[in-house]
Parts: sequence; structure tokens; C-alpha cells
Amino acid sequence: MVRFKNRYVLCEVLSEDPRCRQCIEDRAVGLAVRDAIARAHGDYGLGCCCVSFTVKYLNAYTGTVLLRCRKDFQRLLSSALPLVRHLEGRGQRFPCALRTLHVGGTIRTCQKFLIQYNRRQLLLLLQNCTNEGEFLQPCSSARGAAAQLLLSFGRGEAQKLDYNSVGDNKQHIMVRHSSSYSCSMA
Amino acid sequence: MERTELPAAAYERRVLVSAAQHYYLRVRLELPDGAARPGAPQLKQLVVAALRELHGEVGAALPVDVLAYEEKTLCAILRVISSGLVKLWSALTLQGFYQNRRCAFRVLQTSPFLLALAGNSRELALD
Repeated sequence: MVRFKNRYVLCEVLSEDPRCRQCIEDRAVGLAVRDAIARAHGDYGLGCCCVSFTVKYLNAYTGTVLLRCRKDFQRLLSSALPLVRHLEGRGQRFPCALRTLHVGGTIRTCQKFLIQYNRRQLLLLLQNCTNEGEFLQPCSSARGAAAQLLLSFGRGEAQKLDYNSVGDNKQHIMVRHSSSYSCSMA
Repeated sequence: MERTELPAAAYERRVLVSAAQHYYLRVRLELPDGAARPGAPQLKQLVVAALRELHGEVGAALPVDVLAYEEKTLCAILRVISSGLVKLWSALTLQGFYQNRRCAFRVLQTSPFLLALAGNSRELALD
């Protein structure tokens, strides 16, 4: 019938500076994306895209961001995402880039994709780690993310994405418990 | 259903919708507050600035040309790629200031054919 259709764009924040992780907040990312749309598409683009624009989900450890916009203006948003160059937070600017992983019509499809993507990423990251000590280092970004993912898998925590409280839980790691998943420590 | 054979000298009609590559606009700039009259480069800069304000960098990159400009009457003929007509016209409509003085763009004629701008029945002087 007649309803407002949204598009959910799943992105990853890539940054060379490890201190950028603490700067990743929903307000900072939202403002950065809004600025990029205003620069790329002007007042008209800003008005179109920001009608139903929010940062629905954010994971600072893995740098995963889920943005929402109206279906008709998803192309404007997607074309402006490569123009995000800095993230500002607490008076500091960090150079960063946003990489689009997936565009879906619902949060559920994006969640399914993210679970598969995280599994593949985990295997890749595990192959790169040489020993156990290096693996559990929290300060290195990629390995810290791998450690986080693996610890959640290994502990068997079933943490499903709660649709209602998504905005409040910034550090929530979106993982689904799967008993058939087995990881081998290289 | 049988298809009847067309006779040799048949009348064929082809209809093309939005097939023109460029659109031509004849516009007049009104400066009620007596600002300095812009030259052709200043007019182009004003048009591109209007596009940039409303449609961003993507709009400012639209291929717009000032084909003719009369500084005395402040009339110009602009050419824009067909897909960008709506963006250009909306940007011209919402451009309200030139050098901090009020201004207005009045679109007199628009056509996909340049020759059609030569005749204007609105400016016909009936004796």
C-alpha cells in the first residue's frame, strides 16, 4: 500500500589513525555525512536526504555504521558518502573514509549481511595474526576488532540487535549465536 | 488479426519525446536596486553560483553556456543540457542577490530549438 520506504546503507569507517575509534559517535558521523551531502548536492540535496536521515546503528570497535534515508534519495546519499573526509569529535579532527558495504531495504537484511561479512572478516583477520599474544592486543584496531568478534562468538553470547534500543547502545556488538560455527586458532 | 500492407508512399509519423540534447532559455536579469550591470563573465559566474548554492558541486558542474548577452537590456540566452533544465531553472528562480543587491531572473522563453527563440509573440507590437 502507501507507505514511506527507506533504504539502509551499511558503511565501514576506515581510518589510519587508531585514535579515530574513540571519535566515532553517531552525532559526529551524522554531521559529517550531512556536510558532505550539503557540499555535493546543495540545499536541495540536503533537504531531500535529511527528511528521514538518522544513524541507526554504530559500532565503534569495528567502525560499522548503518544510515537510513528515504528510498528516492538513496542515490544522492550514496554519491555523497565518498566525499566524507574528516570526522570531528571533542575538538579533534581525524581523516577517515567511509566504505559502503551494503544497501538494504530493511534493518533485518543489513543485519544478515553484516553477520556474514563479519564471519568472513574474522577468518581473514585470524589468518593475518601470527601468535596468540598479538591477537588479543586491544590497541591495534583490526586485531582488536577480531578479538572482540571472536570473544563474543566464543563466549556464546547471543546478542541480537534490539530494534527499539538501537540508538542508545553505541558499543553494542551485533552478533548472532551460532552453535555450528567453529573457529580454529591458527 | 491480419496486418494490412501499407501502400508505397505512406505517411509515416515519428514522435520523439525529450530527444533534444540541449535546452535554450532566454532570460532577463532584473536589478531593481540599481546594482552595477554585470558583464558576460559575471553573468556566467552568477548562474554557476546559483547552481552551486541550490544543487551543490554536482549542480555547479552542469554544462551551462551563455550564448548571447546584451548588457544594455540584461537579456541573455543560456544553453543547458536537457537533463539539467529543471536544476538550472530552479536555481535561477531562487537566486535573489547579486553583489548584495536584490535581483531576479525572469525566464522569457525556453525551447529545445534555438531558432524558436528568434520569434516571440509576447513581444509583438500590435498597432
